[in-house]
Amino acid sequence: MPEAGQKKVSIRIDGELVQLPASHTILQAAAMAGRFIPTLCHFDGLADAGACRLCVVEVSGVARLLPACTTPVQEGMSVVTDSPKLAAYRRMILELLLAERNHVCAVCVSNGHCELQNLAAQLGVASVRYPYRYPKLPVDLSHPRFVLDQNRCILCSRCVRVCASVEGAHVWNVMSRGIHSMVVADLNDPWGDASSCTGCGKCVNACPTGALSEKGQAVEEMMKNTAQLVTIAMRKAVRA
Amino acid sequence: MSRIKLATIWLDGCSGCHMSLLDIDEAILAVAEKADIVYGPLVDAQAFPEGVDVTLVEGAVSSREDLNNVRMVRARSRIVVALGDCAVTGNVPAMRNSIPAAKLLHRIYVEGSQTNARVPNQGVPPLLPQARPVHDFIKVDYHLPGCPPKPALILGLLTELLNGRAATLPVVKFG
Amino acid sequence: MSRIEDLSTFNDVRERGVAKLLPGVPRIAVGMGTCGRGNGAEGVYHALAERISYYGMDVQLVGTGCFGPCSEEPLVNVFIPGQPLVILRRVQASDADRILSAITTGHVPAELAWCKVEDWDHVTAHFKYGHGYPELPDWRDIPFFAGQKKIVLRNCGVINPDDIEEYIGVGGYQALYKVLIDGRPESVIEQIKAAKLRGRGGAGYLTGLKWDFMAKARDVEKYVICNADEGDPGAYMNRNEIESDPHALLEGIIIGGYVMKSTKGIIYVRSEYPLAVHRLERAIEQARQYGLLGVKILDRPFDFDIELVEGAGAFVCGEETALIASLEGQAGRPRPRPPFPAEQGLFGRPTNINNVETWYNVPPIIIKGPAWFTETGSARSAGTKVFSLVGKVRNTGLVEMPLGTPLKTFVYGIGGGGAPGRSIKAVQTGGPSGGCIPQEMFDTPVDYETLAQLGSIMGSGGMVVMDEDNCMVDVARYFIEFTHSESCGKCVPCRVGLDVSLKILDDFTTGKGTAAQLDQIVELGRMIRDTSLCGLGQSAPNPVLTTMRHFRHEFEDHMIAKRCRAGVCGSLALSPCENSCPLHMNIPRFLALLKQNRLEDAFESVVMDNPLPASTGRVCQHPCDNRCRRQTIDEAVNMREVHRFIADAIYQSDRFDALAARVVARKLPATGYRMAVAGAGPTGLTAAFYLALLGHQVTVYDGKPEAGGMLRYALPEYRLPKAVLAKEIEMIARLGVQFVFNTRIGFDLSLNDLGSSHDVVFISIGTWKESWVHLPGTELKGVMPALPLLEAVSRGEAPPLGRKVLIIGGGNAAVDAARTARRHGAEAAIVYRRERKDMPAIAEEVHAAEQEGVKIVFLAAPHRILGDGEGNVKALEVVRTRLGEYDRSGRRKPVSTGEVIRMDCDAVVLAVGETVDADFCRASGFSLTEGGTLVVDRFTLETSRPNFYAGGDVISGASNVSNAMGYGKKAARIIDERLMGAGRLAQVLPGFDYVPRAPDQLSSARRHETAVLPAAERAQSVEEVAIGLSAACALEEARRCLHCDARG
Repeated sequence: MPEAGQKKVSIRIDGELVQLPASHTILQAAAMAGRFIPTLCHFDGLADAGACRLCVVEVSGVARLLPACTTPVQEGMSVVTDSPKLAAYRRMILELLLAERNHVCAVCVSNGHCELQNLAAQLGVASVRYPYRYPKLPVDLSHPRFVLDQNRCILCSRCVRVCASVEGAHVWNVMSRGIHSMVVADLNDPWGDASSCTGCGKCVNACPTGALSEKGQAVEEMMKNTAQLVTIAMRKAVRA
Repeated sequence: MSRIKLATIWLDGCSGCHMSLLDIDEAILAVAEKADIVYGPLVDAQAFPEGVDVTLVEGAVSSREDLNNVRMVRARSRIVVALGDCAVTGNVPAMRNSIPAAKLLHRIYVEGSQTNARVPNQGVPPLLPQARPVHDFIKVDYHLPGCPPKPALILGLLTELLNGRAATLPVVKFG
Repeated sequence: MSRIEDLSTFNDVRERGVAKLLPGVPRIAVGMGTCGRGNGAEGVYHALAERISYYGMDVQLVGTGCFGPCSEEPLVNVFIPGQPLVILRRVQASDADRILSAITTGHVPAELAWCKVEDWDHVTAHFKYGHGYPELPDWRDIPFFAGQKKIVLRNCGVINPDDIEEYIGVGGYQALYKVLIDGRPESVIEQIKAAKLRGRGGAGYLTGLKWDFMAKARDVEKYVICNADEGDPGAYMNRNEIESDPHALLEGIIIGGYVMKSTKGIIYVRSEYPLAVHRLERAIEQARQYGLLGVKILDRPFDFDIELVEGAGAFVCGEETALIASLEGQAGRPRPRPPFPAEQGLFGRPTNINNVETWYNVPPIIIKGPAWFTETGSARSAGTKVFSLVGKVRNTGLVEMPLGTPLKTFVYGIGGGGAPGRSIKAVQTGGPSGGCIPQEMFDTPVDYETLAQLGSIMGSGGMVVMDEDNCMVDVARYFIEFTHSESCGKCVPCRVGLDVSLKILDDFTTGKGTAAQLDQIVELGRMIRDTSLCGLGQSAPNPVLTTMRHFRHEFEDHMIAKRCRAGVCGSLALSPCENSCPLHMNIPRFLALLKQNRLEDAFESVVMDNPLPASTGRVCQHPCDNRCRRQTIDEAVNMREVHRFIADAIYQSDRFDALAARVVARKLPATGYRMAVAGAGPTGLTAAFYLALLGHQVTVYDGKPEAGGMLRYALPEYRLPKAVLAKEIEMIARLGVQFVFNTRIGFDLSLNDLGSSHDVVFISIGTWKESWVHLPGTELKGVMPALPLLEAVSRGEAPPLGRKVLIIGGGNAAVDAARTARRHGAEAAIVYRRERKDMPAIAEEVHAAEQEGVKIVFLAAPHRILGDGEGNVKALEVVRTRLGEYDRSGRRKPVSTGEVIRMDCDAVVLAVGETVDADFCRASGFSLTEGGTLVVDRFTLETSRPNFYAGGDVISGASNVSNAMGYGKKAARIIDERLMGAGRLAQVLPGFDYVPRAPDQLSSARRHETAVLPAAERAQSVEEVAIGLSAACALEEARRCLHCDARG
């Protein structure tokens, strides 16, 4: 985290002037300006992966779109957080995610508390124009307390990062590549057999969807304790 | 102004969306003032008529019969609404999609049966390889997701359409 | 073996190297790159070694890398003291004795010699070999090398890559020496900046700037990395550079390490390049031994070492942050930048990564200076670039060209153009991240900016040439399949977006694509390009976006017509021959039926696919020959002659009536629709045949007194006997088609009249208007266009040709006119402005004409026609031409040399092309193109007026009989489908008891050509020249078919 007294820069977010330390990102600047930028892979206190690409924004003078989560602010920068093009792209990204795996909200433990579901509603995704892939994916019930349902995973890697940088256990990683990518515990072991797992549950609370959940929860019952985890992660990040 | 012809059809779904439609309670009276319900599980009509103004489609397209039906619905309706998650996304009926249809039927009707173990092939329409959303087969004018969609949302959409206006959907949610 | 510590030891090594390269004894160097080895270079090397030791010869035998031209491998170069270095090509092990015995007599084997090198510019040194072999071309005069400038490839194929002394012998490590002695790293960076060297890996970032950042970064450890993870399909520049000259790479990296104050270099090389890995290992070992790597390099206070790391072959590791992750032992996935590697790279330390080829440019810039470097190339892209030129060109291989060279120089100059009879349609640059540039844009200079503007990229230098046999939809699908399988899966647009893109492209290649998907894939492509995390995703849509931009019509063909013109998309074509046939004849089927001795079935199959089988069997341009897969064994099956044989056999037998009845019996019940067909040429006849079969009432109108159009009035009797044509027209008449002759549409009867008395009008008039050349003297008596001449002859008139006739043109009409003139006792000569291979006429016809005594004067353009003072033609003056630049058609443009030749003659025939006279259509409210043809919908053939359709020459301009008939068939199918609401053509076509399968017994015979009358006999008669195949030969041809129609 930036230290106090660090050099500040002035930038404009959708025209509004914001002053903040140079090490901050556009995403942080937008939060200060009260502007909403959608994200799925970002998690306060964790290093950003830049994976979901929902947070791309327009920066004047830059031909390319830039991800708000990993782009540091620069003096004089002028950022547009929403535009017809950005909105269209963001909807396309959400539709791609919904088509990729089996997000059957109606029977999901996270129904009603899911970041993907909520964002889709917020960004106006009422149907998916791409063909659903309907892949056959496993559900890992081997852990005594938790469930990993690959059908709901969006590969945001929040579990991977929280486990590595906050808990320090490095249980999770992503195996294979491309469309075959899959979150695995240890060396693709059943989660229950993963000797590195401390059972802390941080991954479950970091997970934006119903991919990681606690056992015994029925449809709509799985509520993640995100706020507490953010506090822990931020503290850890300050110390690091 | 002539009365609106409203139809509903029930494909592969649980009928919950039709229940939700009924859950608009007394507002159904206002609907009935403007529209005739010309076809659907709620009425007794035998055949889907020509020249329907608005058709609400519940359920995923899962069988050969569903497919014929949606094509007919499209040909005979001015506005087609995919009502509920099954029609919009495939939802629960689509959970079988990663399993080949023949294997699925065998598992249930042969392996899972004590008596008369055989895959039914008479009097039931053949399954399509996958259950898929309605818009995979026909053009859909409005998507109203939800499992089921909230009665208020259905009413809101209907009110707009029955008054001959292009509807703008409010925030809708899958699930 | 010695450690170099000062100038004197350096010079000692250098002299030893020079002595190896210019020995006092003959030196034979075998090209032993992967490409050479793949073509048998190891066998050549071992054979030479064995024979040298057997004869006890004093000959130096070495292996070198590759000289570039892959299509000529294996290459061997021979140096005999005092003589030029001679490059031998396509050398086999069995040539060893021949080479060695020639060398003993002080020569090189003439039959293997390709070109010579009298002096060679190694950039860092200049070598003079010797003079001699005046008969051998200099290497620079070989089209493949013309214009190449070898800076990166300066030593490739000349020096032994396994011998550091040879590298030092050609000036290697001199730049390093200079840099270390000077001891001013900042000035090196200034030089690299001044040279405007840009990264050769693809992005083209300025190398000097990158070095500057890195040099300024402060840390206890800094890394200098060479990215040798070349993974584009069709690209192998880096592999060859490393295999041929590994030390030049090391030298570049060591210099980079010094100026950026790093002590650790890493070469990240693909493990799929075992030879490159092997040569690098060896080179690193040697460099250490000679004190060029390790501690106190060249005895200066500079420590640096290089480690070789083999990558596991992930394309995404070409992305620098993914490469770094891979080096760290993690999965090769990129991470967002910033932080940039120059700040936080490998293990969090400042890191610089450059592509292999970038490093190769460093020593020459230091030795020759930045000003020398910027002399080559374009303003913003200095220097050269190595390209792998592959695909559908005659000469393939690695070429190094100045940046900014136009694409056409690569394709037509160096590449030598396409295969005979094929037209090139695009070049794909930059591999899976690049795009396709269409032939119309071949003037494009190849540099970073221009390619980017066209939606492509330079990439690492892959250049794949594509011709009409390549399907652009399939090309797009192929590259998306590649990036899809190489996507790391980290970011959503690339991971899922490419998966959806691939699914959509799959739909197109199988004919299931929709108009909505066409828009969707572009929209998706833009999103993937704009939002992906790394270069892989950002550039992955390029192949789709560029093919959609330049070849959208091919996507539409797949979608609407369910047609893949290139015949690549398997589920859209029965076989390559069927796909190429404008009539889509089921060729494998009639061949199989003939083979099974079912002649009548074969006839029915043929005639139902093509109502003029005997006529087309004689005069068709036979595109099927060009596509036949039998060509991969020997020659194409003579399909045209077989269907001619089948038709002739029936027409000449007493079974004609019975078979005609079989055809008539297939007719559908009357629909009551009345159709008018305007024009009784091949297009109109074909449309009439199918429309009548489908139950419509058809009347054909024509201005001539008989049916047949060009077939009847333009084709001479000796090519197509009128009796044959008459028989075929009789078959059409038996279906109930009515003919109204001597009625010119637009003059005697207007289109509006036709429209009011018929439900549908199909316009199929031909190209009866002869193009006129603007030439002084065309008003003279004895100057005539070809068509009226041929038409007069067909009516039995004797043309006023005189004793000597000159024909201007190179198409079929020119050849027909010349052969007709011969038959009327005149001498005939054709004057054509290009070369023989450029003639549009059917090659067999040209050959026959020459046999009959027709002379052809090539490279001569008409200048003016001279008269005798009484208004008669006396002579033609022609200007000698030579071939200049390549034009849009891929042919070289004839340019005047100024030399005028006079040719005496009594008549001049103009056969420079025919156009359609469709002006009368304009009056009836039809839209015409600039070229004067009717405007129609490409897929429905409907004109700008409803219920009026058009096909054949009137929409395409002058074409040929099978194309014309193809339009007729298509029009009939579409008109019927539109009127009746469903496609019914399949109902009238017969089915046969025939299952396509690969033949049990394949004939090993070569192609049978039709028998012809002896030239002496035929020049004086109008007898048909081509007699046709015998029954036995036709059967044997049918047995030669590979049956590409067989599935699974």
